[in-house]
Amino acid sequence: MPLLTAATPSVRRREVAAPADDLGQAALVGRRRPLQWVVAIAGVVVLAMLVNTLLTNPRFEWQVVGDYLFSNAILRGLVLTLWLTAAVMVSGYLLGIAVAALRLSDNAVLRSVSFGFVWFVRSVPPLVQLLFWFELASLYPRLSLGIPFGPEFVSVQTAHLLSAVAAAYVALTIDVAAFASEIIRGGILSVDRGQTEAADSLGLSRARTFRRVVLPQAMPAIIPASGNLLIGMLKATSLVSVIAVQDLLGATELIYNDNFKVIPLLIVATLWYLLLTSLLSVLQFGLERRFSRGTRRADRPSLPAVWRSNLPVFPHRRPRAGR
Amino acid sequence: MAGSVRIRNLHKSFAGQEVLHGIDLDFAAGSVTVILGPSGSGKSTLLRCINHLESPDAGYVEVGDEIVGYRRDGHRLRERSPREVARQRSRIGMVFQQFNLFGHQTAAQNIMEGQLASGVPSDQARKRASELLARVGLAGRENAYPSALSGGQQQRVAIARALATDPDLILFDEPTSALDPELVGEVLAVIRDLADSGITLVIVTHEIGFAREVADKVIFVDHGRVVESGSPAAVLDHTENDRARTFLSAVL
Repeated sequence: MPLLTAATPSVRRREVAAPADDLGQAALVGRRRPLQWVVAIAGVVVLAMLVNTLLTNPRFEWQVVGDYLFSNAILRGLVLTLWLTAAVMVSGYLLGIAVAALRLSDNAVLRSVSFGFVWFVRSVPPLVQLLFWFELASLYPRLSLGIPFGPEFVSVQTAHLLSAVAAAYVALTIDVAAFASEIIRGGILSVDRGQTEAADSLGLSRARTFRRVVLPQAMPAIIPASGNLLIGMLKATSLVSVIAVQDLLGATELIYNDNFKVIPLLIVATLWYLLLTSLLSVLQFGLERRFSRGTRRADRPSLPAVWRSNLPVFPHRRPRAGR
Repeated sequence: MAGSVRIRNLHKSFAGQEVLHGIDLDFAAGSVTVILGPSGSGKSTLLRCINHLESPDAGYVEVGDEIVGYRRDGHRLRERSPREVARQRSRIGMVFQQFNLFGHQTAAQNIMEGQLASGVPSDQARKRASELLARVGLAGRENAYPSALSGGQQQRVAIARALATDPDLILFDEPTSALDPELVGEVLAVIRDLADSGITLVIVTHEIGFAREVADKVIFVDHGRVVESGSPAAVLDHTENDRARTFLSAVL
């Protein structure tokens, strides 16, 4: 009898000798799963090979990785990556909500503006946009505020306006806004129309209806895609190393251009990106739990329970609500 | 009177198809009116025009002494701002076929939402929510989410929610049509209790027995026109109209 069965212990304990013709008393046991063993053994072999190469290949130079993992230059780059990602996501989502609202408005002009913005931003690679903003000064040497085709009130040198970091911030914010607006629009459309009608019939204003009724119920549809976007943006900030901003990747590049320890330093960057992405995934899991209030998914298992259920050594049933 | 309803020359089309062909109706304040009619006859649209969920193509609806959704401007009716329409709607409750409770909010929060929107302090709104839950037979279920309630219980919460803003008029759009048969009674009982409350009730339903019992007036709508109107006995038992007779013999 295989050790791994879906039968609960209580069923197995009732396994008593029953008359051959009385199947009503027979013990119910799970089906045999030989393939699970094959896959598990293959997995262990692959894992062993991986660990072996990581430990025995001297070119990984773990000593160098250890030396640089917490070095000041790397940590400074890490901090810049973190706050640039945070700033870009916050302003991008604020702008994205506005763009989504325009797209769903009654006004045809506003709808077209929103559509045009999303079309343009999604069509141009973020790296190209980033370079455009960085090179803005060569396109418009001066920027001025005034009446169109009329007098100017304020005028500044563009080169003074946008540093490399500011250009990165603007370009990535616009990129996030375009994608976020589509995620938010999809979320809003997923909320049943009856919810808005009920809010209308209670005399809620349109802003209040959006904030209190539509948005909270759009969140379950918005969060998974936004988690994707956030993790994507955490990594996409590495684009800014192209315009000489010292983010996490920029900092490692600067070091290995100097000492030629390319692989160990890329591993340093990889380890940090892995850690940050894992933390963000946990955050996303928590948010999804929180916004599933009032739905049948509200009794989802906690994160440790989900992990345990995915490891065959623990004889738990796989939770049905797991991901 | 605050809850009286006056409908004049109401026309409404969807995609070129006229659904309401000029409706004229009067409901007295505090009265109970049941609207009957085959599906697709325009009775739901008629109801939704009363609180301006649908805007009419011609004609108007007056609740109390205000035209809903419009204000008189010389000899024209000028559309009101969303804020003014919201204020008018807070005086008109509505109960939907699919309940439309806010799924992310508990029963109490659902009942509080309309009060909070009109500026009632939250502790007062919470107290009123508990009272209303008791009134619809759900005392102690303040913290239940709609998904944890049966259809009948959800609809009773929805009725409590409609009552929370002290409306002069409540519209019921087939309130029992989405319910399992054994749950219909508990919802009708709650509506019956409202019949003598002084609130004007307008109910679209197929529950003929209920209409006979509580209605002051029964309206029969067919193809966007009022074809019968009168006391329950007159419309249900002595109708001269062929369409109404066919319909009634089918549903009775």
